[in-house]
Amino acid sequence: MRLLASQLTKEFGHREIVKNATFSVQPGEVVTIFGPNGAGKTTLIKILATLLKPTSGDLEIEGTDAIADSSDVRGALGVVIHEVLAYLEFTPYENLKFFGQMYGVKQLEDRVTTLLAEVGLQRFTHEPLHIFSRGMTQRFMIARALLHEPSVLLFDEPFSGLDASAKQFVLQRVSEEQQNGKGIVITTHNTELGYLVGTRFFFIIDGELEEVARKDEITAETLLLMYEERLAL
Amino acid sequence: MQALRQIGALIRKDLELQFRSKETLVLIFVFSVLVVLIFAFAFGPIFPERAERGKLAASVLWTAFVFAGIIILNRSFVVERSHSALQGIRLTGVDASNLYLSKVASNVVSLFLLEIVITPIALQFLDLFNVVTVGVLLKLLGVLSIGTLGFCAVGVLLAGMSTSTRGGESLLSVILLPVVVPIIIGGAKCTVSLLVTGGVDNWFWLNLLIGCSLVFLASAYLLAGAVIEE
Repeated sequence: MRLLASQLTKEFGHREIVKNATFSVQPGEVVTIFGPNGAGKTTLIKILATLLKPTSGDLEIEGTDAIADSSDVRGALGVVIHEVLAYLEFTPYENLKFFGQMYGVKQLEDRVTTLLAEVGLQRFTHEPLHIFSRGMTQRFMIARALLHEPSVLLFDEPFSGLDASAKQFVLQRVSEEQQNGKGIVITTHNTELGYLVGTRFFFIIDGELEEVARKDEITAETLLLMYEERLAL
Repeated sequence: MQALRQIGALIRKDLELQFRSKETLVLIFVFSVLVVLIFAFAFGPIFPERAERGKLAASVLWTAFVFAGIIILNRSFVVERSHSALQGIRLTGVDASNLYLSKVASNVVSLFLLEIVITPIALQFLDLFNVVTVGVLLKLLGVLSIGTLGFCAVGVLLAGMSTSTRGGESLLSVILLPVVVPIIIGGAKCTVSLLVTGGVDNWFWLNLLIGCSLVFLASAYLLAGAVIEE
């Protein structure tokens, strides 16, 4: 099992942002979590990424307690969230080289060059990140997340603000990584793309996580109807 | 070995960021020169007593370096907090203590480079440059480097905490200055002694400076994990 979350709860003050979230991710599985703005998606992803400590609950990543030994499991995680998690003053090449050194990536030069070509940024290798568009930045962030070949990928709203070709790129890349046996968690409010990319679906509304169905058990239309019904409640 | 490689990469990255933008370097250089000029013109242009000049130079140097140091410390964390680069570094699994050590090292290097440039300028303006020998100048830089280490040791820890809060840049001065008082006093006393007599005439101040710097470094190193993770 790539990831196992049990009864994860996060409180800010007296407000529960995530309530008893329990789910698991197997190798080659893409868990899509649908939820509106403010539902707790980003908080949940940050907890899974070990960037936030849950108020209570357990989290295991690759069999290791990710709350007690967060530093030990971080090498297994590739994370794409709203923030760039890198230096805008540096070029993609410099950023990837720096983070590659931090991760201890072998044959780093080749890895960086290959990765930049794979995400379509080879023409912008030596341009600073601060001139990048949202789509280009997203491509860089995916490259950064894949740099050290992690076994678990966490994507928070990976489609937001992207044009059609960039969305297609994200879909394709997630599909490739799924075939490579990675465990993937994606949060989104886009049911169409979330359905396309996912293999198992959850809703998160007001911090409560609810398992909906596996892909072979539900159509995109039914999923959308269920989602709208849940939002209307 | 991996830890050393990580520390090396972090220091290189910090210095590269500072030297590339030059924003902080220009700011602290101009600030320090202004401090020197203001003191020199306020108390000068004639300084008859070497003892008076020595005391004035010590005041000028430590005032300039303490406030320039606060600017450097603030800037070094602002760049980490913007776009959550610090979270990106945490995700690499780097030990928080190594991250702390690298920040101390890069801040010490930046501040010490400033001290190397500003000290002769200050001595020149305060009519001490011809009086001070190379040996005394080296001893002076030694004292400044120990003080810089102690200042940055505790400063990095407090900057890490303060820049994560609203209005953190001004908060750093408020929480850092009371803590580093022993370093400033010890450093200033040693500097006066070196500039007036050419040597350290009271070892208590040098011992205070070294002792406080080491205690600050050790205790901040132990606390770094909790501060950076939170």
